[in-house]
Amino acid sequence: MDAVSYPNAKVIDFFSQYLAPVRVLISSTPLPQQFKVKWTPTFVILDSQGEEHHRSVGFLPPEEFIPSLTLGMAKTWFDHEQFSEALSHLDRLISEYPKSDVAPEAIYYRGVSRYKATNDASALKQAHETLQANYKDSEWAKRASVYRLL
Amino acid sequence: MAKSIQWLPDVDAAKKKAQEEQKYVLLDFFNPR
Repeated sequence: MDAVSYPNAKVIDFFSQYLAPVRVLISSTPLPQQFKVKWTPTFVILDSQGEEHHRSVGFLPPEEFIPSLTLGMAKTWFDHEQFSEALSHLDRLISEYPKSDVAPEAIYYRGVSRYKATNDASALKQAHETLQANYKDSEWAKRASVYRLL
Repeated sequence: MAKSIQWLPDVDAAKKKAQEEQKYVLLDFFNPR
């Protein structure tokens, strides 16, 4: 991360705009034990109360790191049932990083967030159709496949 | 001077910044070796 992703200008700007970041030595105490971290790098996103909402293990290049963090931010709002805020992050992720590895998961969560915000089940079916059309080999296309029945 | 990530010293400082500036806390567990 220090050689590739952290010096990247887009990553630096993203951190400045959205994050309050802390580096934690894996050999330190008590955070690695508290969060049950066994391998590095591990990235954990917390809300301002310190509750975990997302984690990722392993190196990520900038074009995957930024969408992964954005998904974590969206999931923070999703967990708090603040769906419009979750959707703003998910829409940006899907628009700006459609080829990222987390784009299919973002489409899944966008469908669920739209459904939970409106109670309109067509949002789930639309997520299924988008995943089938553009990411049919992803695990999230499989997870959403049941919504074809709606 | 080139820009770089501004790391915070600890989780309490990060939570305080997150509350005051509506940001998200990121913990980066790392091994310097």
